[in-house]
Amino acid sequence: MTAFHPLVKRLLDGELTLGELPAELRAEGQAALRILAAVDRSPVRLPEALDARVMAQVRRRRASAGSLWRWMAAPRVPVWAAGALAAAAAVLVLVVSRPGASAPPAASVATAPESVFVKFVLYAPDAKRVSVAGTFNAWDASAAPLARAGSSGVWTATLALPVGQHQYAFIVDGQRWIADPAAPAVDDGFGRRNSVLSVSRNGVRTL
Amino acid sequence: MAGEPVAVRDLSDGDVVRAVMAGDAERYAALVRKYRDRYARYATRLLGSVDAGEDAVQDALIRAYEQLAQCRDPDNFAGWFFLILRNRCFAERRRKRREGPLEGAEVPAAPDRSESDLERGEQRRALEASLLRLTAEQREVFVLKHVEELSYEEIAARTGASVPSLKMRMHRAYDRLRELLEDHQ
Amino acid sequence: MTSRFLALAAFAVAPLAAQRSVTDRLSGHLPAPVVSAVATIADSALARSLPVDPLVNKAIEGGAKGVPGDRVIAAVSTVFHQMADAATALASGGIKSPDGETVEAGAFALSAGLSAANVAGLAHASGEPRAAPALRVAGALAALGVPTRDAVSLVTETLADGGSADDIGALPARVEANMAHGASPAAAAAAAAHGGVRGSPSTPRRPSRGDHGRKP
Repeated sequence: MTAFHPLVKRLLDGELTLGELPAELRAEGQAALRILAAVDRSPVRLPEALDARVMAQVRRRRASAGSLWRWMAAPRVPVWAAGALAAAAAVLVLVVSRPGASAPPAASVATAPESVFVKFVLYAPDAKRVSVAGTFNAWDASAAPLARAGSSGVWTATLALPVGQHQYAFIVDGQRWIADPAAPAVDDGFGRRNSVLSVSRNGVRTL
Repeated sequence: MAGEPVAVRDLSDGDVVRAVMAGDAERYAALVRKYRDRYARYATRLLGSVDAGEDAVQDALIRAYEQLAQCRDPDNFAGWFFLILRNRCFAERRRKRREGPLEGAEVPAAPDRSESDLERGEQRRALEASLLRLTAEQREVFVLKHVEELSYEEIAARTGASVPSLKMRMHRAYDRLRELLEDHQ
Repeated sequence: MTSRFLALAAFAVAPLAAQRSVTDRLSGHLPAPVVSAVATIADSALARSLPVDPLVNKAIEGGAKGVPGDRVIAAVSTVFHQMADAATALASGGIKSPDGETVEAGAFALSAGLSAANVAGLAHASGEPRAAPALRVAGALAALGVPTRDAVSLVTETLADGGSADDIGALPARVEANMAHGASPAAAAAAAAHGGVRGSPSTPRRPSRGDHGRKP
């Protein structure tokens, strides 16, 4: 097998230019670059009919999903970190996870925050009241009510949580304690489960 | 602060995902429209044909809808969807490998006109044919780096692999391509 | 002589002050007999240099959830024993005087299903500065359903590779990403160990295209 010289590989990686290669490697470098010159970067457009096919399947699945959707919760979403405790929080720095060239940022995080804003979301269409309680608010069922977002049955609240690991649960109508159905959970010692959430300076993980 | 919904000007991916999860399935069409073409080139180049790429994107969009409850960070739907599509493409590659060689796959190429276009078209087809003979992992890193023009760091962020292992994969791919293209001539 | 007397006096009143503080913090949340029982457990914790906050928090949680008093006391007692076991395991792993955060992380790991030997092994592999995140993450992986042996070895390998607390902290998200694509917790952890995000071979095959409608 004919292997390229390591410096030629760095040329292909874009780390070196042809001029930076030793003279004796330039011919090999030029041959290697011809490979990249043949790369086809023309865009690929898929037919719009694909949208209709996908949506037909979506409707079919939704019709058969039934109660599966009933208690589904979107997990806690990192919104931004700021800090209640950090004066520098006014300066927000975007931390961009780039799944696609023009994709939206995954989370916006302030510099060295001591707490991070976390958005809690629960889908509970039949609930009259929803709140979230956990180690971050001394399990006070009335400290953090969720607000109903329109008429969709979605409830949300945004809280500043200190960096660290937290356990929490939702309280529906002031009496039903439920773990976040979409998050990992641990035994709470009382026969129920607590959801677990880790808040780091880089944002939020579900554990 | 608690209970205040976050103000949004336009519906972000996260808002759309949450609306869909809240039961408004029709809103999913916005994500389908947005991501139909964004990753089409990646899937097409990875699988070697527009047809296979289209199937993969379509399947991945349906699968993403089915698994939407597991999208832990709705604001990063793009990254999450990419991983679903990627798994779908790798599964397709494994299936094709079991069923037979990929040499017969349709290789997309722009229409060629002049003599130099013809030559370029020939080089392009030779490279595409050679890419199909790399391992799926080698081919993916080549596509992400040289077709999608992402940096190693960006590829690492998307795929979860480390930069050194991506480089090693890519460098092996260069050597293998050299060998395959020499055979082709 | 005076300073020695003051030091002794301070030492003598510390548990009493802590007990009062525990009592103050719990009053209004729980009936008096339960508060008293928890305060006694808190004293035992102080005597062993274990943190008191996890005990108080568990009691408050029980009160908030409307749990009967005897179950609150049992749960607080369980937390105490988990912390004591964690401290013993940490010591056998080389961390003789762990801080409260590390003890709490060890207790969390035990509550998530790790054994004392697992905790000792992680303490040995991590050293004190990284012990708390290592234990929390190993516990978190177990809570995700990763077999404890795999959870421990994933964290230990990351530590052996010189992984920082942030690297360790990133492990659950990587495992979760793999699980979101159909991998079993064990397969997801194995894939994360190799730096990749992969579907498991057991990922169910999607229906063929015919099921989704044919392209024209």
